[in-house]
This record gives sequence, C-alpha cells and structure tokens, in this order.
Amino acid sequence: MSENTATVGEARAPRVVLVGLASCFGCQINITNIERHLLAVLGQIELGYWQLTSSEPMPEAFDVAVIEGAVTTEEAAETVRALRERAACVIAIGSCAATGGIPAMAAGDLASHVEAVYGDGLPKACGVLRAPAPVSAVIDVDFTVSCCPIDPFEFVRVLDAALYGSNRLDVTATLCGQCAQGEGGCLYKRGQMCLGLVTRAGCGAKCPGLGRACNGCAGLSPDANVTAARAFAASRGFAPGRFDEALEMFNAVALAPAGEE
Amino acid sequence: MTATRISVDHVARVEGHGDIHVVIENGEVTTCEMAVVEPARLFESMVVGRSFEEVPYIASRVCGICSASHVVTDIRAIEAVFGVAVTDRTEALRELLVYGSYLQNHATHLFVFAAPDFLGHKSVFPLADTNPDLLERALGLKALGNELCTLVGGRSIHPITAVVGGFTHEIEAAEYRRLAEAMDASRAFALASVDLFRDFDTIALETAGDMLAMVAPGAYPVCTSDTARFVRAGYEFAAAAVEEEIEEYPQGSSAAFLARARRTGAPYMTAALARVNASWGALCKDARYAAAKAGLRPPEYNPFANNIAQAVELVDVLDRCAALCRRLAADEFAGASAPVPFAVRAGVGTGFTEAPRGALFHRLELDGDGRVRRASILTPTAQNIANLEGDMRQLAEKMVGEGYDGALIRLEIEKLVRAYDPCLSCSVH
Repeated sequence: MSENTATVGEARAPRVVLVGLASCFGCQINITNIERHLLAVLGQIELGYWQLTSSEPMPEAFDVAVIEGAVTTEEAAETVRALRERAACVIAIGSCAATGGIPAMAAGDLASHVEAVYGDGLPKACGVLRAPAPVSAVIDVDFTVSCCPIDPFEFVRVLDAALYGSNRLDVTATLCGQCAQGEGGCLYKRGQMCLGLVTRAGCGAKCPGLGRACNGCAGLSPDANVTAARAFAASRGFAPGRFDEALEMFNAVALAPAGEE
Repeated sequence: MTATRISVDHVARVEGHGDIHVVIENGEVTTCEMAVVEPARLFESMVVGRSFEEVPYIASRVCGICSASHVVTDIRAIEAVFGVAVTDRTEALRELLVYGSYLQNHATHLFVFAAPDFLGHKSVFPLADTNPDLLERALGLKALGNELCTLVGGRSIHPITAVVGGFTHEIEAAEYRRLAEAMDASRAFALASVDLFRDFDTIALETAGDMLAMVAPGAYPVCTSDTARFVRAGYEFAAAAVEEEIEEYPQGSSAAFLARARRTGAPYMTAALARVNASWGALCKDARYAAAKAGLRPPEYNPFANNIAQAVELVDVLDRCAALCRRLAADEFAGASAPVPFAVRAGVGTGFTEAPRGALFHRLELDGDGRVRRASILTPTAQNIANLEGDMRQLAEKMVGEGYDGALIRLEIEKLVRAYDPCLSCSVH
C-alpha cells in the first residue's frame, strides 16, 4: 500500500500473508472488524496476501504466515507445510486452527460423516479428506490466538509480539478465576453446565457475563483438571458423559485417546 | 482462432474458496464453471445427536459473516418443533440482530469486496491514500453494523445472547437511543452509496433464471414470515415445503450442492436484488426513492444490480433499525426478552430467514429429548451457484461476441461473481 509501509525503523517492513483453511472465515472477518485500527496495523507491515480482501497474488517470500481454519485435507496439510518452510513465524488464529474447533467434531468418525452428507459421491472439489486437526498437528506453530471467533485486538497483540517480541507469557489459568466477579453468579447455581472449569482464561469470560455458559472455545487450559471437573458436573446432577460431550464442540482432538494422531 | 482459457484459483475478495474456469474456443464458450473448492465441512452430519441447545451455536459456525442469520434461522426451526411463541420484544431483537448483519455484510461486500474492481484497485486499502473520506465513511458504516451486533448479540459475530425462547441479556434503553442516533447519522452516507454504485459502469445482462425471496403482505420481511416467492414464475410456497419445492443436486466440480426450483426446473438468484424485486413497495420511503433515482425498479434482472440493491438496503435497514431501537427504548413491544418457558418435544421444524445474501433455510428433525435426528441447511450461495454459472456464461458469450480480450472478460466475470456476494465457505455445510 502507501509509502509509509516501506520500513519499520531501519528494516524492511515485515511481509505478512494470511491464509484461510476450513473455516467460517469469521476470524478473518473479525480482523477487518477493527476497522480504523486495521489501517494502523497495515501501516506497520507489508500485506503480502490476503485473499479475503485483496487480489494481490501470494508472494514468493514472506516473514509471517497467519493461518485460520483447521487442516481437513491433504492439500491443506501441504499448504501449511509450505507456509512453514517459507515463514520465519507462523501464527494460528481461531479455534479451528488452534484446537481443530468445530470441524474436529467430525474427526472421530470422518467416513460416516462424509457418507451422511455426500453418500458415496464425495465431489473431487472437496480434495483428499483427512481427520480435521489443528494446524499444530501438522507443523510447529509459533503463536496462537484462541477463541471462536478471535478477539481481533488479541490478534493485534500477538502480531505485535511476533514482530517486535514480548515478554508476556501465555495465560494458563482456567476461566473460572476470571469469571468469579461476574454479577450473574456461577451458572452451575442456575442449573447450567459451564466449561469455564477447564477452559483457558483470557477472553474475559464474555459468555458467562452475558448469561451463556462457556463452551470451551479457547481450548483446554494446561492447568485444567478435567477429571475433577467431570466429577463436579456429575455432583451437580449432570449425567455421566455430558461434560465430555459438551467439550467435543471445540476440544474433540484434545479429548481423543492418545495415539490416534 | 485459438482457445482462450480463463482460470482463477481462489477468486479474491469473496468469502470462501472458489475457482473460475472459462474456456472460449473459436468464439464459443465451451466451459464455464464456478467451482466451489471448499473441503467437506459436514455440519449437517455433525449436529446429528447434539442437543437443541448447542445446535444454533454449532450452525453459527457455518458462516462468519451471516452467523446471526444462521443462529436466528436455527432457533426458528427449533421453536417450530417445540411450538414456542416468543414475545414481540424478542421478535424485534431478532430483527435487529439480522439487520445488524445486513449492515456488516453489505458494507463489507460493497466497499471491501466489490468497489475496488470499479475503482481500479486490488483491495480497499489504497483508498487510504486516494479517497480517505470514502474509506473512513465506509468503514464507519461497517463498524456500526458490528456495534449493533455486539450490543444485541454480545459480539460482532457468532452471537452469544440469542437462544431458544428469547435472549439471555439485553442492553439499557439509553444504549438503544444512542444506536438510533448513530443510524440516523449514517443515512446520508448510505444514500450516497446508492449513487456511487449507480455510477459504476456494468454490462447489461438479464439473468435467465428466477429470483427467490421471503414475502409478507405489506412488508419487507427478513425473519418474520414463513412464505417464499419465486418472483418470475409468480408463485409462493410455505417454508415448511422447502424440500418439495427446491431440489438440491450434486455437481462434481463443486463441493456445494447446487439448487433449482422443482416446479420449473429453473436455477435462481436469491439476494438483496430478489428482495427488492419481491417487496419493492414496502421499502422505506427514503430507500425506495433512492432506488428509483438510481434506476432500480422491479422487475430488474441484471445481477450486477445486486450491488445497488444492497446499497438501497443499507438505507432501508438504517431507517428500520433507528425505529426499532427507539421503540425498544420506549418499551413499546409487548413482553420481555428473557427466554419464555417451553417444553421439549419431538418433531420437524423449518427455520426461514433472509440472510444478508438471500434466503436461508434450516430444517431440523428432533427427537423427544430435543436431540437432532436429521438436519438440512440450504444457504443463499448454494442456491445461487447454478444461476451464477448461467450468468457467467451469458456474460462471456456476450463479451466474446463483442471482441473483448481474455483479460477483460476475466475481470468482468470476477466482478459478476462478486456482485452475487457469494459465501463459498457457507455453501458447503
């Protein structure tokens, strides 16, 4: 774009490409939803490729690859491998890219899901399917922006960290700690099952704050005690299996028995 | 003469992944495809067995930009099964949520996706240098749509607060009043947008297919009717009969199922243009006048006019949202928005709304525990692709006949694809 993007300090502006895999495109849309701030961000980088917003073709060389969506085909796996080879830094954005997200609900029994929708006539245009997985199942990922959809300001913060460095550590706490101040009170007291017990904090507990249970879109916290959380849900009268069933929505891959990948 | 091949991999400035293939041999268009190359997304199968409480949340993820429409449509399908009658206030909030996604979608499509073609740019961003005022106002309108969705739905996409029976949270009256004022303040730019898109040169085309839109007597409905109308063939049907009226069929080059009307066999367009054709008389006065001034009057079958129709809807939606916000602030709608009580029961229900990009149907069969037995989703773009391909062919034939070269034909075909405002990721579900 304009001349003022040519340099950051003394160096060439970092070239960033943004690629969407299997997704709703919502995280990319949400990046455009920061409107005026977006122009400030674009003033710091050279936007190399972003199919959603520009007809500029994919450049040969780039510094940062931002990936939205889950890996659901062999072609997509090839795409992310190629991005990894060329980019100094890879950022996975959104639940699909970070945990497998909603697409990974089909990971457990892919063939039967495909048959249910397409019968025995899967169109060639779908590509060669593989069990939906997060980007990190295929390549090393340097930074992750969680949630469905991402908070675009969190994306800006992570991009900033990727470009200029940051000493901020990833949040590891579970959501409950952030949510306790919520004026509505714990959703379990209102008879609702909430996944805030095990979900990584950082989103500000927006859903419980609006009266809606956490659905785990930020992914499991490394501090989560899933066994204890299951027992807690059971103690509140939820049938065995309900807690894991709810977790399947955004955490099917993390829940799958080890050794499947 | 040699063959000209127009091949665009992952056409830019549309949502989702699609490839254009056109082959022109000896002055004849021999191949003309809009291939949707999304991976299988499998929503209709993934929701099977899931509880009704989760299903709108999952269906929302079909589409990032019309997530509000998927949520409201799914909720309407579930409420049809359970026999839930929501309050007038909840209906008003759902309309407001859907209109919020219209503002988001139309502002994004018109300025970020479509306008760069006509302004000679590869993206909207060079406007920061060439026309910062236009960029500022365009992004401001888009931001207003985001704000409306955030205040009503809890965030700009994938709404949180809309549930079966009502809403889990609502904003204060003062915030509705502030929104109403912001809507009023944006009207002048929306009116200017109609003129802007009127002034862009487009090629004269007349789609051979039909047009489909939700209708209601004396109204311009988006989520409050269960009747759909084929504008050209001139007949209506109940949304519950969607599977008897619309045939979905596979085509190998596309990961999406395509659609046609069963009675006529015709492909069709469903979009802002179809709505304007179907309900012109019920547009708000400002919007109707702006449309007339721009030369957009029914019947209008040039698909490029969908850009103008979306701009007209921006005017219409701003007026409607301002009025809805003022009435919500004044507590003029009966009942509260907190979810009404309901009993879970088995059955089949159809949800029907006008998403920003056209008619959207969700059909759900639930068991006695409220779990999904079968789901069928019909998105606007899945319905549009067959008609788009017909229009692409007509456009290519016309331009070949008039001696245009491949590069210009390619550009016009891309413009046509964008005029349909396709959501290719949505079309695969």
